[in-house]
Amino acid sequence: MSRQPIRFRDIARLTDEPLNPLSADELMPLPALSDVPELTPPRPRWLENYDLSLDGFSDFDIPMPKTPEERERLVRGFLTGLEKLLDPETNWTFAKLFRLSLDYCMRCQTCSEACHVYLGSGRQEIYRPTYRSEILRRIYQRYFTPAGKLIGPLIGADVEVNFKTVWRLLELSYRCNICRRCAQVCPAGIDNALIAREIRKLFSQELGIAPTELLRKGTRQHLQAGSSTGMNPAAFRNSVEFLEEIIEEKTGRKITIPVDKKGADILLIHNAGEFISWPENPAAFAILFDAAGINWTLSSDLLGYDVVNYAVWFDDVELARIALQHVEVARRLGVKKIVVGECGHAHKALCVIADRVLPGDHSVSERPRESCLPLLWDIVRSGAIRFDPSRNDFPVTLHDSCNVVRLMGIVQPQREIVRAVCSQPLREMAPHGVHNYCCGGGSGFAIMDTLNFSQWRNAVSARMKVKQILDAFGDVLDPGIRKYVIAACSNCKGTLREAINYYDLWEQHGIWYGGLVELMVNAMADLPGPYITWNEEM
Amino acid sequence: MALHWFAIIFAWASVVIFFAVAVYRVVKISSMPLGLRWEVYPIPHEARDRREYGGSYMEDVDWPKKHERRSFWAEVVEFLAPEAIEIGTEIVTMKKVRGHNRYGIWAFSTLLHWGIYLFVLWALLLIVQSLTRSALLAAVAGPLLVVACAVGLVGAAGLIVRRATTPDLARYTAPIDYFNLAFLAAIFVSGLISWAGDPALAGHRAYMSAALTFQPTAVSGAVLATFLLFWAFVVYMPFSKLLHYVIKYFLYHQGLWDDAFKTKGSAADRQVIRQLGYRVKWQAPHIAAGKTWLEEAQMISPEGEKK
Repeated sequence: MSRQPIRFRDIARLTDEPLNPLSADELMPLPALSDVPELTPPRPRWLENYDLSLDGFSDFDIPMPKTPEERERLVRGFLTGLEKLLDPETNWTFAKLFRLSLDYCMRCQTCSEACHVYLGSGRQEIYRPTYRSEILRRIYQRYFTPAGKLIGPLIGADVEVNFKTVWRLLELSYRCNICRRCAQVCPAGIDNALIAREIRKLFSQELGIAPTELLRKGTRQHLQAGSSTGMNPAAFRNSVEFLEEIIEEKTGRKITIPVDKKGADILLIHNAGEFISWPENPAAFAILFDAAGINWTLSSDLLGYDVVNYAVWFDDVELARIALQHVEVARRLGVKKIVVGECGHAHKALCVIADRVLPGDHSVSERPRESCLPLLWDIVRSGAIRFDPSRNDFPVTLHDSCNVVRLMGIVQPQREIVRAVCSQPLREMAPHGVHNYCCGGGSGFAIMDTLNFSQWRNAVSARMKVKQILDAFGDVLDPGIRKYVIAACSNCKGTLREAINYYDLWEQHGIWYGGLVELMVNAMADLPGPYITWNEEM
Repeated sequence: MALHWFAIIFAWASVVIFFAVAVYRVVKISSMPLGLRWEVYPIPHEARDRREYGGSYMEDVDWPKKHERRSFWAEVVEFLAPEAIEIGTEIVTMKKVRGHNRYGIWAFSTLLHWGIYLFVLWALLLIVQSLTRSALLAAVAGPLLVVACAVGLVGAAGLIVRRATTPDLARYTAPIDYFNLAFLAAIFVSGLISWAGDPALAGHRAYMSAALTFQPTAVSGAVLATFLLFWAFVVYMPFSKLLHYVIKYFLYHQGLWDDAFKTKGSAADRQVIRQLGYRVKWQAPHIAAGKTWLEEAQMISPEGEKK
């Protein structure tokens, strides 16, 4: 059935029907899967209470404004926020790139083919990287430029702002992983992912609207309780004891994990989600650092045990607050540097983006912040630990976290490590490195599971990654052969866990996932047995 | 004669307006605050071995301690030159469009851009010829104009057709975009007509001399139309997004390729400190509007915020 093409002004359509309903048979085909899940319709109760009028999916369990006054307030707040986004001083953090990206896009659509969401959806118009940008551009021109006010239709300034426009634009800003592959291929240097982020920022910083998992249970909880997981310092200390038990149980080694050690060379900060979901990951770090004789510590200070900074996806004020707390923890401990564990967005937030909100003594030159990956490669090549690659004698592929690779240029250390600790050649995905595709969980999607959003993530945004994994293991898909997808990033791991479950990749093809340090410890020659736990053993 | 005077004054005025507006825009953009780092790899000014695969200095342990201040010439040779080569290659070959655009616009777009480059080159050549009276340049000018206009016209017409007939492009093409292409096509058509009526370009050269010496001279309507359209385009360009070739510098150099980390006491550090003194004007409940960014960043929650 052919569909009516979507026009930009349709975004303002005053109906509750989805602008672009999705059906599974329109999505990008996946190879080698006998049973691809159907999309289930939203529950009637959700449709009564919430707005799913973009594509039938949402993460926002926020009741829609009912009265004309409430709707007017939403529209007014949106336009006020947009004005602030455009103001160089109010939005000093990103106004320059944002304005230039709005003003100078040539609308050539070169970026579309770079977007895994657009391709994964079977090229649905609303997921094109330029679609949401064009909507915002037309609103900006219509309401804020003289040309738009005078000759609006001639320059395409034809999108009306009503409460439906505002809400659908909010949803649209959460249909982009902000992986920035589109910016990488734009001949003019336009950054459509940044535009998506700035729309999110407008909603968060002006209207207080953001996914619950990112703001209320994310950055707010992080700042107030110490961790976005809700883990307080006492619970963290219990987790450390649990890690020590895991280490003893799995390796026979009794290791005392250093906590709050003043003056250590390294303060290692993990994504606190690791302690809860993948404790073998921070345990593996402890085993490696202990074996390599590194002078390191964890911190039990508020925020000192959770390196996430969800605000990097949607809120500059919260970004600055969290980053400041992280470096303050390092200052109080008097450590020489912070090393970020296997968490992609935290790498980018703390090592790169927050650099220009942390002045003076908090500059990276005074208080260094680095990735764990070069350090891990240093450990391998130092010879301090003996690795036996034959212990990792199974097919492996490497998922590149966008934040670590495309957005920080850390490409080779992880590959060198894999070559050193695995006996089979690394199966590179196509494409890989800085041209990789996002896992589909980037920019918060990995942890967003309100209403039916996780179904959209599994079906659409994670689809390209699933295809890449299946292609990488194309000649060894027999479920009897265990295969390992390396993801040195908590959110990528979370997304892969869900996608493997959704597409039944373990049962159908023996595909499992895990971090890089687990693979390293698995290859340590002087440990009694394997360290990696495969799905069937859990 | 009034028209010929107008053609001379318009020529000078258009150049003055172009530079005035373009410089104003550049200054305005340059004076915007220093934004947060937001780079995307590969970055052309990275070390050669890393540039190949998109690597960065952050692949090293202790990279903040290894930073070396570059000399001015090292900055030019190791930093700006690779960026200029990368941007220049894109301008000349449009390799990203070729590699990633599925709508068949690469050939037309490249032809259009080359038509513009050659037309501008032709205009400059005509100026030099008028000043030097070089017979060689006079001989080259005619073929150059034909090639520039033919190439540019095919490109502009092809893009108009592509944009109008490809639904995925048509949706995103506003009337102003067609106008821009038609404007360029009109210059190229006019150039070809003027050449057909005067293959030796005697009228074109006479006009250029007249414009340079402020001595109006009668030229054909076709020659006059070619120049008036061209100067009109020169005036129009900085007011439109056609200035993207200048803006590209900011988007790349100060955006996608800006990987400079901040050191204590540096100019960037001082600028950041100034910017942290800006007042936060956002109104969401978790923000205390009216505080400075520095005060805001040190706050866990504003007073009275609902939890």
